[in-house]
Amino acid sequence: MVIASEAGPSKSGREKEGSPEEKDDRTFECNICLDTAKDAVVSMCGHLFCWPCLHQWLDTRPTRQVCPVCKAAISEDKVIPLYGRGSTKQEDPRNKVPPRPPGQRTEPENNGGFPGFGFGDGGFHMSFGIGAFPFGFVTSSFNFGDHHHQRPAHGAGRGMALLDEDPFVSKIFLWVAAIFIMWLFYA
Amino acid sequence: MQSLKAGHLDASRWERRLQKELMSLMKEPPPGVEVDGDQAEQNLSLWTVHMKGAEGTLYEGESFQLQFKFSPKYPFDSPEVTFIGSNIPVHPHVYSNGHICLSILTDDWSPALSVQSVCLSIVSMLSSCKEKKRPPDNSFYVKTCNKNPKKTKWWYHDDSV
Repeated sequence: MVIASEAGPSKSGREKEGSPEEKDDRTFECNICLDTAKDAVVSMCGHLFCWPCLHQWLDTRPTRQVCPVCKAAISEDKVIPLYGRGSTKQEDPRNKVPPRPPGQRTEPENNGGFPGFGFGDGGFHMSFGIGAFPFGFVTSSFNFGDHHHQRPAHGAGRGMALLDEDPFVSKIFLWVAAIFIMWLFYA
Repeated sequence: MQSLKAGHLDASRWERRLQKELMSLMKEPPPGVEVDGDQAEQNLSLWTVHMKGAEGTLYEGESFQLQFKFSPKYPFDSPEVTFIGSNIPVHPHVYSNGHICLSILTDDWSPALSVQSVCLSIVSMLSSCKEKKRPPDNSFYVKTCNKNPKKTKWWYHDDSV
């Protein structure tokens, strides 16, 4: 691409074909105008076009937008712009074409390794939804508070173990919940 | 600076594309195909292509002439392609006035197609023919049709030939 932009002004429709540079260039030819793609975009099906060329084609048949090469469905928001290093020059006279769609980028996920060991780093909490709302609420709070003091993290089975080991505590909370519900009724 | 009219490549890109197509058709033509380069150079919007019937087919030994007309909207708009001259191939999809019933010339046209691929399609359409005959509605069509085959509402129903 860099070679192409340097050679740009001197290039005419007829150049020495078959030279190695020519062969290289042809890989990056727009499938519509057959020139080296300007403001290059690539479709999801992998076909390369100048954005102005593709835009014109999409405009030609707005109701049936297909890839000129493979006839896959295609649309303006599903093309990917290609940003090469030498492609910053903006001297294209075809200025009535809407700007090339931007690339879509997402931040890489900040993943702390194996998910099973990720409890400590980002506020893990598990809510335990058995029965009525107050009960679930209280249990989950308990779970949260408990997690730093008494038990080292062991993995995903933790929430379960809690019920088995502390039937007494559970009973207390069940009563608290029952009283809370009664209170709701009477209040 | 040239402004962009709806559906056009600007004139210089239109010319470059046709120029490139001409070069590649002269350099690597499909078998039996030869473009009249001098005529095309004179007027890039009107080409004549000579075509020979492929060996081992019903059209072996025959030669035909195809005419390509390119509108200013080419390649977004398909070229107008007809058989011309004294020998129009007798084929179920070719009318005696030279009009060709071929979907890529209208509905299925795409700007990634080229003179070369159209020629190849026509060679292959002729080659797969089993019986030389005119389309059943030939005489009616030829009497009533527009001069431009692209004005015809074609009905593409037969993929076998």
